[in-house]
Amino acid sequence: MARIGVFICHCGTNIASVVDVAKVAEAAKQMSGVAYATDYKYMCSEPGQAMIKAAIEEHHLDRIVIGSCSPRMHELTFRKMLKSTSVNPYMLEIANLREQCAWVHTDREKATQKAINLVQMSVAKVAGNKPLHTSMIPITKRALVIGGGIAGIQAALDIADCGFEVTIVEKEPSIGGHMVMLDKTFPTMDCSACISTPKMVDASAHPNITLKTYCEVESVSGYIGNFEVTIKEKTKYVNHDLCTGCGLCQTKCPTKVTSEFNQGMSKRPAIYIPFAQAVPSKPVIDPNACLKLTKDKCGICEKICPIGAINYKDEVKYTTEQFGAIVVATGYELADWKTMYPEYGSGRYPDVITGLQFERLVNASGPTEGHIIRPSDGKEPKDVVIVKCVGSRDPKKGKTYCSRACCMYSAKHAHQILDKIPNSRVYIFYMDVRTPGKGYEEFYDNTRKDGAQYIRGRVSKIYQEGEKLIVKGEDSLIGRPVTVEADLVILATAMEAAPNVEEVVKKLGISMDKDRWVQEAHPKLGPVETQTSGIFLCGTCQGPKDIPDTVAQASAAAAKVAGILCHDEMETSPMISFVDQTKCSGCGFCVTTCPYKAISLVEVPGRDGNRKVTKTVAQVNEGLCQGCGCCNAACRTGCIDLKGFTNDQILKEVDALCL
Amino acid sequence: MTELTQARTEERIREEAKKALASGEVRAVVGWCATRFDDRTRPFFAETAEECDLLVWNPYCINGTAKFALDDRYPDQKLALILRGCDSRAVNRMLRDKQLKRENLYLIGVVCDGKENPICEECQHKTPLVYDVLIGEPAKEQIYPERFRKIEEFEKLSPDERYAYWAAQYDKCIHCYACRNACPACNCIECYADQYRVGWQGKAADREQNQIYGLTRAFHVGDRCIECGECERVCPMHLPIMRQTRKMLKDINELFGSYEGGLSEEETPALGGFRLDDPDEFM
Repeated sequence: MARIGVFICHCGTNIASVVDVAKVAEAAKQMSGVAYATDYKYMCSEPGQAMIKAAIEEHHLDRIVIGSCSPRMHELTFRKMLKSTSVNPYMLEIANLREQCAWVHTDREKATQKAINLVQMSVAKVAGNKPLHTSMIPITKRALVIGGGIAGIQAALDIADCGFEVTIVEKEPSIGGHMVMLDKTFPTMDCSACISTPKMVDASAHPNITLKTYCEVESVSGYIGNFEVTIKEKTKYVNHDLCTGCGLCQTKCPTKVTSEFNQGMSKRPAIYIPFAQAVPSKPVIDPNACLKLTKDKCGICEKICPIGAINYKDEVKYTTEQFGAIVVATGYELADWKTMYPEYGSGRYPDVITGLQFERLVNASGPTEGHIIRPSDGKEPKDVVIVKCVGSRDPKKGKTYCSRACCMYSAKHAHQILDKIPNSRVYIFYMDVRTPGKGYEEFYDNTRKDGAQYIRGRVSKIYQEGEKLIVKGEDSLIGRPVTVEADLVILATAMEAAPNVEEVVKKLGISMDKDRWVQEAHPKLGPVETQTSGIFLCGTCQGPKDIPDTVAQASAAAAKVAGILCHDEMETSPMISFVDQTKCSGCGFCVTTCPYKAISLVEVPGRDGNRKVTKTVAQVNEGLCQGCGCCNAACRTGCIDLKGFTNDQILKEVDALCL
Repeated sequence: MTELTQARTEERIREEAKKALASGEVRAVVGWCATRFDDRTRPFFAETAEECDLLVWNPYCINGTAKFALDDRYPDQKLALILRGCDSRAVNRMLRDKQLKRENLYLIGVVCDGKENPICEECQHKTPLVYDVLIGEPAKEQIYPERFRKIEEFEKLSPDERYAYWAAQYDKCIHCYACRNACPACNCIECYADQYRVGWQGKAADREQNQIYGLTRAFHVGDRCIECGECERVCPMHLPIMRQTRKMLKDINELFGSYEGGLSEEETPALGGFRLDDPDEFM
């Protein structure tokens, strides 16, 4: 006969103010199998735990029911406590009297009755509990970082410095991301490339870091400590093991297409290194542009390459590797303002550019070598309009959120224009100016002192008149329409999550919020974790942020990864499913239903009447099983059960409530 | 089908059956034979060439043949089945559920033109979908537009009215498991209902246990039902059993897109697979 101890927690007044806890404990004493029941102010506190331990000794209890808060809160606490007693940690059930009773009810009498019912169910269930034991599984001490922007690079460097191997998977031919496109960074005005390229080089030279550029994550399986990731290497058509990065091929390639790196403001050859400081500084061939690959003509790069690194027959390669933890750092893209704002010309006017295009324009390594000129005629602009919140904070046309970095980089753009072009005028249309960062407000103040004119209001229309762009808006502070004749218009467009983020999220089994940003586990207490343990996030894949925040978050994610990888092995939950192979029909629906690929069909010797036959039955991989119970529901024979949540136990709970 | 082609088909069935047995690989051919009633046939295992001449093909060949293959799950020799469209979907069902091996079957498909069975009016696949040899010209696949009409009408009733309807039906049920035994989707080695477990499916034939059985059966076969109507045909108490699986199929069609069970050996039934993008409107 089971000897069950029932402990009802007041949770201060959280439970006790609505539920008559003494009455619940009194009722529990009458329940079948209950040897002892009591109530106490805080069961989770040290005296509370000591009381449970003493009761176990005194009343020879062999299983415990605790009526308290949600098991998500303190089930682990009580399991840990039971480790030092004679009771197995899994001979424990929590009746949730707080979230599922006290917090949601006001009628004391009814709530007390419900609390008694909940305890009755847990008592019925715990009677069927069996001692379970955890096992240890080894941890693969390697991390995968998806995305090679500044977030990914920083996370990888920090993890690698802790002594663990890291692989960075980057979909572009070079790491660096958006930061390396920028000219100067606010508020210190240090050169973006000068501070990010050394980190890129560090990452490529670090003995613990493997760079996999021009690669994508193909599939992910496994779980924390033991992820199995297949990485797809796209066709580079250049053997990077041979290539010395001399760049001869680039100079001779006859095809010229729009440069992605320069935001469409210059051309690049079909075989290209995206930018001068690229890491690795080795070219790839754009298969959509290359004459050899599209029309089987040309082939100059192959002829000219001094070491024969060009391979037009290159194929997609797949490699499968094991990782213990994964960091998602897939970054952002600028929202496509052209479809959102037809009133700004939908891209018809070449002198209406985005902030990122301006960064390339003002960058010494950019298409104009740092000269701010109009893309249309190459003339120096005198009147420049900056429009903020293009797509951000605009629920009707764009995103509801604020893109956070635009106020500051727009102030920086204004400062750079006023600094570089004598007698220039800058007009900034804004909704609010948000400068919550160290030195940000001072920077904004200085920009205004430089002469930037801030006009509070949205721009309603931009159109060309002769050489000028007519910008019509409203100054909402004086309540009058404003018209500015501008030479150049810079749009501070909204950030949005990278275009392929859905794919990555799906492969990893994590989630996105309504704005397509990758969802963190908790906005305050789990900002770099995802709902899937072992997978972390950092940088702008989680939401718009500037470089300091991104780098800080990357280091935070790295600390979390190191926290896992520093262990040799980890405990697995014993609450997993098991198959009664004598009843199994081998239909395999548990195999297709399992989200963790933890079940497989195996052949075992069996009997059919008086014949010996080979039967096909299901088998659970105990390392992979997460105890979700999908197989349990899919099994028609009922031969799969979940340890600690058996069908019989659940039936007993239902019976306790209904009979 | 005219008398002539019916006789010709029967002749061809006997020929193919004999050929199959003559190959030495086939233990028996499952089809239909005459009974002492003109309007009845019964399932028949032809094991010799002479017995093959007893096989018949007429509008009264209404029993399903496929499920007999489950009688021996580990056969030494092949079993030949005479298949109509519905039987072929039953074979696909059991192949997909890994209860049969294709190499243990020899399938003689016959293009069917409907039998004296009300379900045949709703048939969408008269030509077998899987076979080794086919008798007759493949017929055009038909669409039965009324597939879910009865369900739609039934759904208009209030929950209380529906409960009353089913309660009355299950008061009639004698808990004989004939529906399960005839169903090609009910192919577990040991049915949950046959297991002895405390608090599990009760064995008594009362409304409560009958309803539990009916509900569980509907969920167990709902997404894999091939709409052959065997359950209703064999029910001695004439319960409208198909209505439950049709309701499941209607919901599946609405939630997961167009679906029919048993069309191929590879299909994954809606409730038998895990997909991250599964719809969750019902949550």
